[in-house]
Amino acid sequence: MEQNGRLKPIISLRDVGKIFYSEHKTNEVVKGMNLDVSENEFVVLFGPGQCGKTTMINLIAGLELPTSGEVDVDGKKVTGPGPDRGVVYQRTSLFPFCTVMGNVEFGPKSRGIDKKTRRETAQYFIDLVGLQGFENTYPNRLSGGMRQRVGIARAYANNPKVMLMDEPFGHLDAQTRYMMEAELEKIWQKEKRTVVFVTNNSEEAVYLADRIIILTNTPTHIKEEVKVDLPRPRKYSDQAFLKIRRQIEDICESTR
Amino acid sequence: MNEYMQMKRKKAIKFGIVSAISLIVFFSIWYICTAVLELKPDYILPSPVQVLEAFIEKLSKKAPDGATLFGHIGASLQVALSGYLLGAIIGVPLGVAMAWFRKVDLFVTPLFDLIRPVPTIAWIPLMILWFGIGLGAKAAIIFVSAFVPCVINSYSGIKQTKQVHLWVAQTFGASKRDMLFTVALPTAMPLIFTGLRISLGTAWMTLCAAEMLASNKGLGYMIQLNRTLGRADLIIVGMLTIGFVGTLLTGILNILEKRFVKGGRRG
Amino acid sequence: MSKKKGDREAVMYAILAIASFFVFWWFITTFTAAKQTTPGPIEVIQLLIKSLFEPIGNYTIFGHLMVSLRRVAVGFSVATILGIIFGIAMGTSDWARAIIKPIFELLRPIPPIAWIPIVILFFGIGELPKYVITGIGAFTNVTLNAYTAAENVDPELIGAAKMLGTDEKGIFFRVILPSCTPQIFAGMQVALSTSWMAVLAAEMVGAQEGCGWLILRGNDTLNIALVMVGMIVVGVVGFLLATIMRMAERRFCLWNRMGD
Repeated sequence: MEQNGRLKPIISLRDVGKIFYSEHKTNEVVKGMNLDVSENEFVVLFGPGQCGKTTMINLIAGLELPTSGEVDVDGKKVTGPGPDRGVVYQRTSLFPFCTVMGNVEFGPKSRGIDKKTRRETAQYFIDLVGLQGFENTYPNRLSGGMRQRVGIARAYANNPKVMLMDEPFGHLDAQTRYMMEAELEKIWQKEKRTVVFVTNNSEEAVYLADRIIILTNTPTHIKEEVKVDLPRPRKYSDQAFLKIRRQIEDICESTR
Repeated sequence: MNEYMQMKRKKAIKFGIVSAISLIVFFSIWYICTAVLELKPDYILPSPVQVLEAFIEKLSKKAPDGATLFGHIGASLQVALSGYLLGAIIGVPLGVAMAWFRKVDLFVTPLFDLIRPVPTIAWIPLMILWFGIGLGAKAAIIFVSAFVPCVINSYSGIKQTKQVHLWVAQTFGASKRDMLFTVALPTAMPLIFTGLRISLGTAWMTLCAAEMLASNKGLGYMIQLNRTLGRADLIIVGMLTIGFVGTLLTGILNILEKRFVKGGRRG
Repeated sequence: MSKKKGDREAVMYAILAIASFFVFWWFITTFTAAKQTTPGPIEVIQLLIKSLFEPIGNYTIFGHLMVSLRRVAVGFSVATILGIIFGIAMGTSDWARAIIKPIFELLRPIPPIAWIPIVILFFGIGELPKYVITGIGAFTNVTLNAYTAAENVDPELIGAAKMLGTDEKGIFFRVILPSCTPQIFAGMQVALSTSWMAVLAAEMVGAQEGCGWLILRGNDTLNIALVMVGMIVVGVVGFLLATIMRMAERRFCLWNRMGD
């Protein structure tokens, strides 16, 4: 990833801060955040439980606006949600009243793409995530892992420049989680996008990331960055893998 | 006081004012249509001022329907509460028994399903036949109306008990009786209260019907009699009183629910 | 115990229960003092069959039923449409809520039956007052359900739709509206049975036809068998209406049913 510095960043956060106001107190969640992500880079935001990771995703998504600083995506200032960024959520936020097909083609349909084209696109991504045969199934009949696959296909179907993933495998059991990590890597290799991926699982972070950003507790800022240069697909039990894993865990530990 | 709170308060004030204006406009239109334009004669739609006057007068005057407003409220409450309490006292345990004992379930549920679809209002003539036009008939009708939702909700409340919880209780050596009182009933509590709330609503509604058809006192009687007398002002007073007392009763029940239901209410 | 054996047991008990109900009814109306006031099951069933062919008042029992059903159908459908519009408006717009809610809350606690006298004064004794009364019965429930449903649409779904590039109109029609359907259907179910009850009351107070009139007519002429025939018909139809609503709900809210 030596070209990091030279490429024009596709996501850039400049002195971003976010303060939430609630009934009794003000809560500074993100403080002085500076971050550049270059095209087709897989960046993992790694941090302790209650740090502002989801807020970071929402800031880039435009679902929240920063109270100070600026978020730019593809050279434009983020002022609200938009289809150039795809989000995969922690909780499956599939539309329960749409079939798998209905969910995946939701984005293209919103952008007024004709039925034939959007069906083709949706079918391509349904096949890509391995859900052929489930097109007409409603989400309540799918397992947790399958729902997350639909979520990934739905985000991809809109052909976004940037994929934002907020602990997408956080609620899955360990085995499904390993499977989904491998699956995501495969999908990403085939359909490269810029990815910002949030997790609090160090194994997952090292497995997926080009670069790991270690965050502190709130008010969240960057503690340290770790590049992961291991060849893909990675093995969880490699010495080099375990070494990086221990390294980021130590850094994270010292932030508490 | 931070920015967020200020914004929230500003918004609350703004929409509070909108609400107040909305009510003022509502009453103004009513007033203009009746008192100024006189679109409808007084005996069909009186003005809000006339309704207010009728209300104040009715607090102390017995004419034309034989009782003061409080007299009618008292009569209605007496009927409604006796029927309602009877319905709850019999309905809740029956629903619990139906859900807990298999034999009772198999035998009583078909009977209950046979009776249940008949709207309570359709029972009125039969109850009058059996109990006469006194308190008895009306209380019996209210009883039927309150009984049905109480049974249904207690039944499904108990049926919601998770097998896992029963197993846990069993491993602690709980008897079947213990399990009913320590596991199943607390699980069912929120739904039992839902049943009590629904039946309070239906009981209060049925009361109006019962008093309209067979009574010589009570709020239902008051609005029905004043229809034949062409006293729309008193009808509206009666309607609003019915609504107000109904809200009051629901409020009391909600307070009870908060005290008795542990672990939050569902649905 | 196997499922099949359990089913057979349930059917046996059901037959036993219903049979004992009829035997009990027959017994007390044949051998006790109750026979002076209350007709037995045989008498009631005979009258039920007779009234299918011979008119009571202006119509046969079937005709009365149709009159009542028409009144419910009109009142219920108009009120449902209005209820959905008002409910969703209140649930999605601060302005609509601020304007409508106080008036709605003022009138909501008044049971539909308590409206009967004023509605009759206002609209006379034609068909319109019956539509209004059945409509009031349905309106409150549908509005309330649509309102809470619209207010509680999962904000994450709206966020997801926004991220996918959906505009305001799309969010309303493709996210908010479908999210609300199960609860609206739940409201419609209660609304339909309330309407059915309200039409009986309205017909008892002022009408020349309909099921409510039939029951009251039995009462006035001391023909208790006729009252019971009316109750049976009203019960069966009420049951059928509820079943139809449940089937409609199943059809439209396929996605909302948990795995079976």
